[in-house]
Amino acid sequence: MTREKGTQKARRPSRIKTPEAVFLGQLANQQASKYRMAQGFGVLFSVSLVLQAWALANVFSDMALHQSVSLSLLVVGLFALLIRALANFGRERICTSASRDIRYGLRRQLVSHLTNLGPARLRIEEDAALSTRVYEQVDALDDFFSRYKPQVFMVTLIPCVILLSVVSISWITFFVFMLTAPLVIVFMIFVGHKAAQANRRQFNVLAMLSNQFMDLSQGLAELKRLNRTKEARERLSDSATAYQKTTMGVLVLAFLSTATLELFASLSIAMIALYLGLGLLEILPWQTGSSPVTLTQAMFLLLLAPEFYLPLRQLGNDYHAKQKAEAAATDLLEILEAPAHAISSQEQNLPVAASDAKLLGQRGSIRFDNLSWHDAGRYRLAPITANINAGERIWLSGESGVGKSSLLHLLLGFEEDYQGQLLVNDNPFQEINLAAWRAKLAWLPQTPEWVNGSIRRNLLLGIETPSEETLQAALIESQCDAFIQPLPAGLDTKLTELGAGLSGGQMQRLSIARALLSNADIWLLDEPCSGLDKETAQAVLATLKRVSKGKTLLIVSHDTHPILWADKHWALTKGGLHEQRTQAIA
Amino acid sequence: MNNVPKLSLKRLLLANPWGFIIPVVTGMAATLAGVALLGLSGWFISAAGLATAMGVGMVFNYLTPGAIVRGLSILRTAGRYGEQVTAHNHLFGLLRILRLWVWDQRVAKDAANLHEQSRGDLLQRLVNDLDQIIRWPLVVFLPWIYALSAYLAVSIFAYFITPVLLWPIAIAALLQILVVPYVCGRFASHAVHVGLILGVHRRSRFVSLFSALITLTIRGHWKDYAQRLGELDERQRRMEIRIQQAISLGRLLSYGVTILLIASSFFLLSERNPETNHWTLIAGVQGTWVVGYVLSLLAVNELVLPLVQSFVAQGQSQVGLRRLNQLHQDAQAQPEGKIDRIQQMVFKHWRGFHASSGMGNTAIDLSANLGDTLWLRGASGSGKSTLLAAIAGDCLSSGEAIINNEKCDLYSNQNYQAQLSYLPQSPYIFQQSIAANLYLGNPNASDEQLWAVLDAVCLADWVKSLPNGLETLLSSQGRNLSGGQRKRLALARLLLREAPVLLLDEPFDGLDKATIERICHSLQNDYKPDILILVSHVGSRIGDNARVIEL
Repeated sequence: MTREKGTQKARRPSRIKTPEAVFLGQLANQQASKYRMAQGFGVLFSVSLVLQAWALANVFSDMALHQSVSLSLLVVGLFALLIRALANFGRERICTSASRDIRYGLRRQLVSHLTNLGPARLRIEEDAALSTRVYEQVDALDDFFSRYKPQVFMVTLIPCVILLSVVSISWITFFVFMLTAPLVIVFMIFVGHKAAQANRRQFNVLAMLSNQFMDLSQGLAELKRLNRTKEARERLSDSATAYQKTTMGVLVLAFLSTATLELFASLSIAMIALYLGLGLLEILPWQTGSSPVTLTQAMFLLLLAPEFYLPLRQLGNDYHAKQKAEAAATDLLEILEAPAHAISSQEQNLPVAASDAKLLGQRGSIRFDNLSWHDAGRYRLAPITANINAGERIWLSGESGVGKSSLLHLLLGFEEDYQGQLLVNDNPFQEINLAAWRAKLAWLPQTPEWVNGSIRRNLLLGIETPSEETLQAALIESQCDAFIQPLPAGLDTKLTELGAGLSGGQMQRLSIARALLSNADIWLLDEPCSGLDKETAQAVLATLKRVSKGKTLLIVSHDTHPILWADKHWALTKGGLHEQRTQAIA
Repeated sequence: MNNVPKLSLKRLLLANPWGFIIPVVTGMAATLAGVALLGLSGWFISAAGLATAMGVGMVFNYLTPGAIVRGLSILRTAGRYGEQVTAHNHLFGLLRILRLWVWDQRVAKDAANLHEQSRGDLLQRLVNDLDQIIRWPLVVFLPWIYALSAYLAVSIFAYFITPVLLWPIAIAALLQILVVPYVCGRFASHAVHVGLILGVHRRSRFVSLFSALITLTIRGHWKDYAQRLGELDERQRRMEIRIQQAISLGRLLSYGVTILLIASSFFLLSERNPETNHWTLIAGVQGTWVVGYVLSLLAVNELVLPLVQSFVAQGQSQVGLRRLNQLHQDAQAQPEGKIDRIQQMVFKHWRGFHASSGMGNTAIDLSANLGDTLWLRGASGSGKSTLLAAIAGDCLSSGEAIINNEKCDLYSNQNYQAQLSYLPQSPYIFQQSIAANLYLGNPNASDEQLWAVLDAVCLADWVKSLPNGLETLLSSQGRNLSGGQRKRLALARLLLREAPVLLLDEPFDGLDKATIERICHSLQNDYKPDILILVSHVGSRIGDNARVIEL
């Protein structure tokens, strides 16, 4: 039995050592000492199991044969039962605590990694879906670490202990156990695969159903206007019924395999019981007239028989925990394997050099020297060579996918795998203090970035509180006061992710006010007008033109929203950067 | 739509009683077979041992118990299988009922508050809360029923051994089935509740933070915020620990009760012989029966252990239910009275506004008669779109609306809305085929009608160029369409309705001259509505012939 297990274990790594399995293994190793302690409790558990069976068997046989109760043995038996309960209690607490440590540590790691990824995280998934990975998917590992992982040890330990204690008593029982255990294991693997398939398919269909619901729900206003909500309800009902039918088809099969497994276990218990009964009656066909076991031994075997199969059956039940964990691990690995710029380490390792002080005092000029970004076999950004002088305002245009946003992300310091040179005030970008550099930047993306909180809090995010006059001046300059004043709560109006009823143009104006307040002298704008209608866009651009005088500006915008007042117009293509003529109407 | 009541666990149980009785019965059969299997084999072996010892082994009837043992083991497996299959079938039925319930609540919500729930929140309720609720019968109710029936079976057996055993059994059953799970449930319920709320809170903070990630990092503030996210996580962890402690302790207590039950049973069943200082069974009690009895108690112990967890799950289901019930919406009373084909619309001191910000247009007087075309113009932010939405009954409004010479409440009025087609600024395209999207306008449209209307909005050539033509599946929210295509497809859908009133919000945004010309032509000929109200900053032939209203 032991050897058999050993060979199986040895074969397994070469066959299915998927990255997910490696990942889960590494995570489990973080808590190796706790798992060892849990194994200790496991050993205590199995020893008390045998002890309990032995003591109760003696009590039972005394009772059956002599109608007497041996008090000391009864106490031993009940005491063993108590030890068993306590061992279980300890094991459970240690395993859940190990699982918690693993999961909460992993979660911290994920959040900090996502932070370092910066905008690159959106290449993996949008934020809402990432939050599902960070919370639900990490919690999906719980069953694996708190139940499956320790159970794998129990499933080898308990049958071995039981086999050892049985071998000296009854060869036949020993062989029944020996023969059925591999069968159960083979079945379990089969069942596991079936259940995994069923699980995965069910998960996909369920996701599809949710998607359908969300789609219809998002368009509900449209459905109501069209007066078609009843039809949509029927659609939902039909697909839910179809889902029920197909899933049941799969589950009937999956459960059937589990049932076969259970039947195996029950039948072999029944077989042993029958053998023992007939043996005690001395009427076994090959052994009439003498009994192979005493009543005490028979009782002992009977008590141990269900315990022999129990861990195997539990592992079978928990097998889906492994599947679930591996599916989750795939998603989590995708995040962790995305190469990230280690911001914090850079910040810590580099002392604030003299050049940083210089950098802070100076107005930034930026130079790209044959700068390109090659990633996964294709250019994200073709090699470019150009200069941005301090105080220059540059319009960057180009088709989607040529690397306009990538260039901005480089400047924001979220990517470091670029080729060529990126120089700030003639200092290589890697050598400057990132925090100091970033403090000089203002960032105005397509959808303005807001945290939950009042308008005031969002405007003053991360800067020293300015005087009320400065604040008002910035609001007037960005033309925000016109719409903030009528608001009942004024600057203390709460902003949420939904925008609190402010229009896209108004949100962009608030971003401009924030940029003004931050005193940043390098403004990076990523299609600030693409979500706005033409009229609003024009108005926002006019404001930008006015307020950004004297700032260094790099504004990405489509040809549909031309930045006619820019000093330079760069057209970015797959071939590189081309400076266009501008009719600067300054 | 009828008024759908709130959800409760009782309603869930009674939702499909027959579908639920089958898993209960099969599961009970399996449970009892499991308990009997252990008890009977114990009795069988000890009786066999005793028979041999007494020298009557040869006449002992071993065939019947042997057959029963085998039969029970088969019954147990088959019952367990039947229970799993039928219970899951029932569970999927519940899932369907609950999803439709959520849908009904969404439909009952009025237009202005439809997007009160963010997408993430709704999805959370739809997936997680539903999951918590539908597993209630499977995780909470069934195990409880099984434990109860197992205890009943053991008590009957105990009654035949000696009735006095019923006392400890009753006390133990009370403790294990009610008291311990209830106490643990109470102990954990606060943590369950807080944990769920924290979960929602944590997610929304995560999304909010990450959507402002770049600004937070360049302002050097990320660490503070990330730390607060970490604190939420830490609080969640403490809740998790509390729940786990409740479950583990409950199990330990349950074990303790079993041990005490066995000990007290032995105490009641035996007496001390003062001379030999030995304990012997009291008169009239068969040792073999006691063996069976104790073994079945051990089997019952395995059944009651999961109950502790189930009471915690009960708390989770209840929180899920409460959260789902927050979606509950009483169906609005629809204004009575049918509205005939709209001939005239008069608005007095009419103002549309958004509920959240109160922003909208300045109140105006407006009227439109049969054959009229109106062009609403105004600077950005003057509230043109809000005004149009208010006319469409999609947005809150103040003032007076007189339709066909009768005062009428427009907001969410289905009778009124059936008479008009409104194209909002960003219309919704469903993740279905092009044809299915168009059928929403008119389910009985023929293929010719579909092509004609596509031609009217200049989409026919594009659709023809697609490999799957009308059956082309559109991606989520029409993302594989350009803004202009999306709008024209929505317009085509509206035109199929042939409603007398057509309200268009910026229909020409992002379209070239020729396309605008073609659409204008359609709107003036084949698809000419009785009344057309247009909001646009782009000039067009329709605009040239329209009565202009400046806001």
